[in-house]
Amino acid sequence: MDTKPANKSIVEIVRATKIYTPDVVALEDISISIVYGELVFLTGMSGAGKTTLLKLICGIEHPDKGMVEVAGKDLNRIKGGEIPRLRQQIGMAYQDFKLLPDRTVAQNISMAMEVSYQNIRTIKKRVIELLRKLRLEHKHDALAGNLSRGEQQRVAIARAVANSPTLILADEPTGNLDSKTTKLVMELFEQCNISGTTIIIATHDEGIYRRSANRVLELHSGHLISPAYNSISTLNNMP
Amino acid sequence: MKFFSTILVQTNRNLQKTWPTQFMTLLTVSLSVLIFSFFFLIYTNMIKAGERLGDDLRLTIYLEEEPVLEMQEQLVRKITNFSPVEEIRFTSRKEAYERLSEQLGDNVDVLDDLDPSFLPPSIEVYPKKNLSNLAQIKRFSEYLSTLPGAVKVQYGQEWVERFNYFTKLLQIVVILSGSLLILTTAFMVAYTIRLAVVARQGELEILRLLGATNGYIRTPFLIEGFLQGLLGSTSGLFALFFLFRWIQMRFTGPGILQLVEFTFFSPTIIAIIVAASIILCTGGSFSSMRKFMRI
Repeated sequence: MDTKPANKSIVEIVRATKIYTPDVVALEDISISIVYGELVFLTGMSGAGKTTLLKLICGIEHPDKGMVEVAGKDLNRIKGGEIPRLRQQIGMAYQDFKLLPDRTVAQNISMAMEVSYQNIRTIKKRVIELLRKLRLEHKHDALAGNLSRGEQQRVAIARAVANSPTLILADEPTGNLDSKTTKLVMELFEQCNISGTTIIIATHDEGIYRRSANRVLELHSGHLISPAYNSISTLNNMP
Repeated sequence: MKFFSTILVQTNRNLQKTWPTQFMTLLTVSLSVLIFSFFFLIYTNMIKAGERLGDDLRLTIYLEEEPVLEMQEQLVRKITNFSPVEEIRFTSRKEAYERLSEQLGDNVDVLDDLDPSFLPPSIEVYPKKNLSNLAQIKRFSEYLSTLPGAVKVQYGQEWVERFNYFTKLLQIVVILSGSLLILTTAFMVAYTIRLAVVARQGELEILRLLGATNGYIRTPFLIEGFLQGLLGSTSGLFALFFLFRWIQMRFTGPGILQLVEFTFFSPTIIAIIVAASIILCTGGSFSSMRKFMRI
């Protein structure tokens, strides 16, 4: 990824539209700019287009119209060889977790670091550290398929942050968590954000963004409703 | 973690998961190599035996009358004009009688009542060609029979022809078993990799989302193909070697095996068979990935 100059956009979406066949408009004419180091909440009801927007940002989906640029790379024009490099710098916690049920918790988390050929000792250390932060240290060798949904969600989050990515995308990261665990997860995200990681959290859990000083973008039926800016400082960071 | 250690860990993981299929493929590769190399071993030994027999090949021209010196020179000229030869030897009636007496050994008394000049004089021609040029030997024999004073030409036609046909038949079997080896090996390895790709579709999808490069995803499959080729061919060749030793131990003594004097493949041939198997298996794996893996 490129260097991270202050106030420079890491995510730049310009008039993006995504239509699923036959004619389901998931997103329409969306324009968003997110700067390096920002923590943004993406809210809206189910079906509002939050997941689609995250998929556009990490390059799983491509817009039918408009442009999506991540770290200065136009995802419509990005070359095949550059995609893995970009994805290694994006940590995504999926709503459906995307864990391998026949692998242990540690192996699932390690995968994110293994693909970028990190040292095995570093990987082991990082896995233990993350499991401790998310209170899952006793599940180190448990198979992911045997965990509760809440535990699986935390493993998915641990995998998303494991590689210390530049950008973290979290899709409903607290959907299956109680308030105590939600707090743990949000603390982890805040720590990552303090260390400079840009984070986009898609959620309809008002509790986690209501008192937050970060920007909240609200989607409704594929349209971006005028974003609410909870923080003057964040507003000043906008391009 | 460096590239190769990561890839080896990944390959080990894959092999542990899919070992029953991998084992069956390994068995198929071994059997294919065994079948092919079995016939190829017989073929190469037959070729060697043919060369040895070719060295001993001689054409005997029986003559009506013993040629005088001038006539002998003329005959040599005529023979060498048609084809260069290793050696030409004239045998007189007397020499032929002496040779027969020698061969009869203790039974020499059967010749007592016979005229010592009852055997015809002959010319022994040792050609430079070997048995693979059967057509040329035939032509040469036909030419020799037209020489002045020639009554009959002999070179063990029946034996030579049969041997030649057998060698040709073996050549066809080797080509067929070689083709079989190529087809079964490439197909089986490609099929195994295809099964592995399908079985691990979910995992590969996640790896792609996490940013795994083509090299990270593909290399373990290529290593699997490489190992199939290496282990399959070496175990096939080992099995053949044990079979070869067993045959050698069981069938020592006078007979065809003594005449043929079987030898195993040279290190170069072994290396070529192993390398060909590795290339085939890795190629099969690669083609399967290109077909079934969208990266």
